Amino acid sequence: MKRIKFILFGFLLSLVVQSCGEKSTNNDDKLKSAPWEDIEAIAEGTTVNFMMWQGSTAINDYINNYVVPSVKGKYNINLQISGGQGPEIVQLVMGEKQADIEQGQVDMVWINGETFFQLRKVKGLWGPFVEQLPNASLINFEDSYISTDFQQPVNGMEAPWSINQFAIVYDFEKVPNPPKNIPELKNFIKEHPGTFTISNDFTGMTLLKSFMAELGGGPNVLDGAFDENKYKQLSQKLWKFINDNKQYFWKEGSTFPKEQSKMNQLYANGELLIAYGFNEGGIEDKVLTGLYPESTKGYAWSNGTIRNSNYLGILYNSPEKAGAMQVINFLLSPEAQLKKADAKGMDSNTVLAMDKLDTEWKDKFLDARKRQYGPTLKELEVNAIAEPAPEYMIRLYEDFRKNVIEN
Amino acid sequence: MRIKKLNIGILLFVLVGVVPFAAAFIYALLYSFGIIGVANDGFTLQFWESVITSGTFFKSFGYSFLIALVAVAISVGGALWITLKFRQQLETRFMSFIIYLPLAVPGIVTGFFTFQLFSKGGFFARISHKLGFITEASQFPDLVNDGLAIGIIFSFLTMITPFFVLLFLNVYKNERVEELSILAQSLGANANQISRRVFLPILLKKTWVLIVLYFIFLLGAYEVPLILGQESPQMLSVLIIQEIKQYDLDKISEGYVVAVLYTLIVSVAAILLFLPKRKRAYAT
Amino acid sequence: MRLNWKPFVLSLVVLLILFPFVYLVFLSLASEWRFPDVWPSYIGFKNWVTVFNSEAGLLKSFFSSLVISLSVAVFSTTSGFLISKAVFYHPKKRVLTLLAYFPYILAPVVFAACLSFFFLKMGLFGNMTGVVVAQFIIAFPYALLFFSSFWNEKVKSYEDLVATLGGNKWQTYTKVLLPLAKGLILICFFQTFLISWFEYGLTSIIGIGKVQTLTIKVFLFIKEANYFYGALSCCLLIFPPVVLLYFNKRYVFKKFV
Repeated sequence: MKRIKFILFGFLLSLVVQSCGEKSTNNDDKLKSAPWEDIEAIAEGTTVNFMMWQGSTAINDYINNYVVPSVKGKYNINLQISGGQGPEIVQLVMGEKQADIEQGQVDMVWINGETFFQLRKVKGLWGPFVEQLPNASLINFEDSYISTDFQQPVNGMEAPWSINQFAIVYDFEKVPNPPKNIPELKNFIKEHPGTFTISNDFTGMTLLKSFMAELGGGPNVLDGAFDENKYKQLSQKLWKFINDNKQYFWKEGSTFPKEQSKMNQLYANGELLIAYGFNEGGIEDKVLTGLYPESTKGYAWSNGTIRNSNYLGILYNSPEKAGAMQVINFLLSPEAQLKKADAKGMDSNTVLAMDKLDTEWKDKFLDARKRQYGPTLKELEVNAIAEPAPEYMIRLYEDFRKNVIEN
Repeated sequence: MRIKKLNIGILLFVLVGVVPFAAAFIYALLYSFGIIGVANDGFTLQFWESVITSGTFFKSFGYSFLIALVAVAISVGGALWITLKFRQQLETRFMSFIIYLPLAVPGIVTGFFTFQLFSKGGFFARISHKLGFITEASQFPDLVNDGLAIGIIFSFLTMITPFFVLLFLNVYKNERVEELSILAQSLGANANQISRRVFLPILLKKTWVLIVLYFIFLLGAYEVPLILGQESPQMLSVLIIQEIKQYDLDKISEGYVVAVLYTLIVSVAAILLFLPKRKRAYAT
Repeated sequence: MRLNWKPFVLSLVVLLILFPFVYLVFLSLASEWRFPDVWPSYIGFKNWVTVFNSEAGLLKSFFSSLVISLSVAVFSTTSGFLISKAVFYHPKKRVLTLLAYFPYILAPVVFAACLSFFFLKMGLFGNMTGVVVAQFIIAFPYALLFFSSFWNEKVKSYEDLVATLGGNKWQTYTKVLLPLAKGLILICFFQTFLISWFEYGLTSIIGIGKVQTLTIKVFLFIKEANYFYGALSCCLLIFPPVVLLYFNKRYVFKKFV
C-alpha cells in the first residue's frame, strides 16, 4: 500500500516537473524570409491550434466540415479549433507572457481591430508574415478597408480574411419604413416599445460606434487617432440618448442580451423588430435555415455603418508558425475563399481582388455571390464608414456597462 | 514505521488538498493589490478602493445571498411537506426510481431547459399564444434573464428540492421518526403537534449543516446564472469571471478583489460550520 | 375522499420529473421551429445524423468527457480512500477536515480562475491532463470527506486484530479494509465521476476551449443559439447518469457533511 502512495506522490511530482522540460528552439525568425517550399515542408504533418469566435452555425460548419478536412487532406495538418475571441485571446497571451511560456497553447487567432491593438500593445503577435504567403498576392492592399484595421496599418502582422459591412436587419412586412437615423429610431421605439436592444458584445458596441459618429455630425467624425475629448463629449450624448429612451428598449432597458446570437433569436421570435450585425446583417443563412422569415431585409444607417475586415494572426509563442502560415495561406486561396463566399454557406465577402484572379475564378465568384435575401456589400458601399481607433471600442465596453447596464 | 507512513499520507493531503487552495488564494490576493499581473505596476490599494466604493461587490453579494436564501427556503419547505405527506407513496419501487431522476440533470442542462420553457419564444409562450392569451412574444411575462431572478430560482429549486426530499426520507427512516411519532400519538399528541414537535425538529436538527452547505453552493453557482441571469446585478461567480476576463486590462485586478472577498466569506462560513466540536449531524 | 388528492399530486410530480427528459429528446429531434408554432415543422433524426457524421465532434467530446471523468474518478477515489486514512486517524483530524472543506466549498470556476497561472506555468493549460488535474483537485476533497465515516473505532480494531494475528499491511488492505469499503468505494467512484462529468466553469478556464467536453459543447451551442444541437448534447450528458441510477440509486445521490 505504501507503494501506491509513492506512486501517487510520484505522479503529482512528475506533473510539477513536466513543465520545466519544455524549451523551444528559436528558428522562427528564419521563417520570415524562408522560401515558401521550406515553410511548406516544415508545416507538413503539424498540429495547428486555431482560436476563433464560434458563435455562428454557418461559420462553424465552414470550419469543421470544409477547412479542417481540407488542410488535413492537402497538407496533412491537424487543425484544432478552440473557442475564444477578443479578451480571451489577449488574456491568454498575457497569462503566457507572465508565466514565460515559450510554447504557447494557440498558434493562430481570428481577430479584429481592438484585439489587434491590444495584442500589439503586449507584443503578442508574430510577424510580419503576410508577404510570405503566396496567396497574399491576390489581395488588394490598396483598399484602405483591408490595409487599415481600426485606423492602424496592418503592416503584414495579420492577414485579412474577409471584408464586410454592418447592416440593420428588419422584416419589411412588419416594418415597412424602418428608422435610418437616431431621431427616427427614437420615434420608432416609442411607437413600438420593447422591440429594440443593444447586444452587450462587439456587435452592439459596433452599432454604438456608428451612433457616436452620427451624434458627432458626420460619417468621418471619429477618423484619426483616439481623441479623449471627442470621446467624452460624444459618449455623453450617446449615454444620454440611451438612458433617456431606455424605457422603450427591450425589457425596459433593465438588461441587455449578452450575445448577438441571442438578439437574433429575439428577432426571429418577433420580440425584436430590429436586429443588426456584421456580414451585411448575416441574413442569408438565417433565412435559408428557417430562423428568419423570408421577408427579412437589411440596410445601412443613413449616416453610415461600420465597414471593416477581419484578420488572421499568428501568436508570438506559437509552436507551429509554419503550420499556421500554411493554414492561413489556404484560407486565402481562391478555393477556400470561394467556398466561404457561397451565399448558401458562410456567405462572407472575399478579400481577394477580382482583377487579380483568373477569369475562371472570377466567374465562379460572381456566381457564388448571388444573395436572395440580404443586401450586398456593393449596395451598402455608399454608407460605409471606417472603423475608428480601437480605444473607442474598449472604452465603450467599459462605459456601456457603467453608464447604462449598471445605471 | 507507522508514524512515517502516516506522515506521507498527511503530506499528500497537504499537497493536493491544501496547497492548491492556498496558492490560488495568495495569487488572487497579490493580484488584487497589483503586485503581480502584466498590466500592473506595484503595490496599490486602488483596486480595493474602487471595488468597495463602487458597491458592485456588495450589490452582487446581496443579490446572490437573496437568491440562494429564497431557493433554499422554498425547497426545504417544499421537501419537508412532500416528505410529510407522501412518505409512504414515495417508497414504492417505481416512485423511488423516479424521484432520483432529477439528480441526473446538471446545472447547465437545467439552465438550458428552463430557458427553453420560459423564455418569450419558449414552450409556454407558444402554448399561451396558441391558447390566445398573448398575441405577440413580447407580451409573455419576463421569466428568464429577469430582474427578480425567477428563472434562476426556478432552476435552483428543481435542482435541490429532489435532493432534500431524498435526504429527509433517509433521515426519517434512520432516526426512527415513525416510531417516535407513534409514541407521541399514544401519549396523546395530535397530528399537528407531531409534525411540529417531532417531525420538524428532528429533521431540521439532523440536516441543518447540509442545508447551510447547499446555501453556500448556490451562492457560488455559475452555469445557471450565466444562462438565466441578467447583465446587472450578477451573481458572484459570474461577476468574478466577467471582471477577470474583461477587455480593459487595467481593471482585471478588481475581479481578483471580488474573488478574495468571496473566498474569505465562504472560508469563514466553513470555519463556523465545521470547526466547533459537536456531534456529527448527519452523515452517510 | 380525504386521500383522493394525493394520487393526483403524485402523478403530476411524476409528469413534471419526466417532462424535461422527454422535452430534451423531442427538442433534439426538432428543427425549423419558429415562434409561435407549437409543433416544429421538422421532426426526425436529421440533427442526430448530422452531428454524428460531421466534424462537429460531439462524439469525440463524448469520449473525451468519458476519459476525463473516468481518470478523475479513479485518481480521486484511490487517493481519497488512502489519504483519508491518514487524515481521520490523525490527532488533529478536525483541523485537517476543515482544511479539506475550503476547496470543496469554493465555487470551482473561481478556484480555477485563481489557479490558472500555476497551470499555465506547469504546462497544464489547454490540455486534457490539465483538466484532469484541475478536476481532481476539486473532486479529491469530496472523496476524502466521503470516507470520513469509514475510519471509525470498529475498523481500527479490525486492523489491530489483523496485526495481532500476524498479517502484514498488504493483507490488512486486501483482506479486510477493501472488502469492508467496497460498497463505499464504488459509490465514491461514481460520484466523483459525476462531479467531473457535470463540470463546466473550471473546465472552460483550464481547458481554454481546447478541451471540448460535453458541457463545453452544450454551452457552445447555447452561445450559437443552436438549441436543437444544444438539446442533443444535453441528452448525451444526462443519459449516462440515468443509466447509473438504474443500477444503483446511491451512485448519484451525493450527501454528507
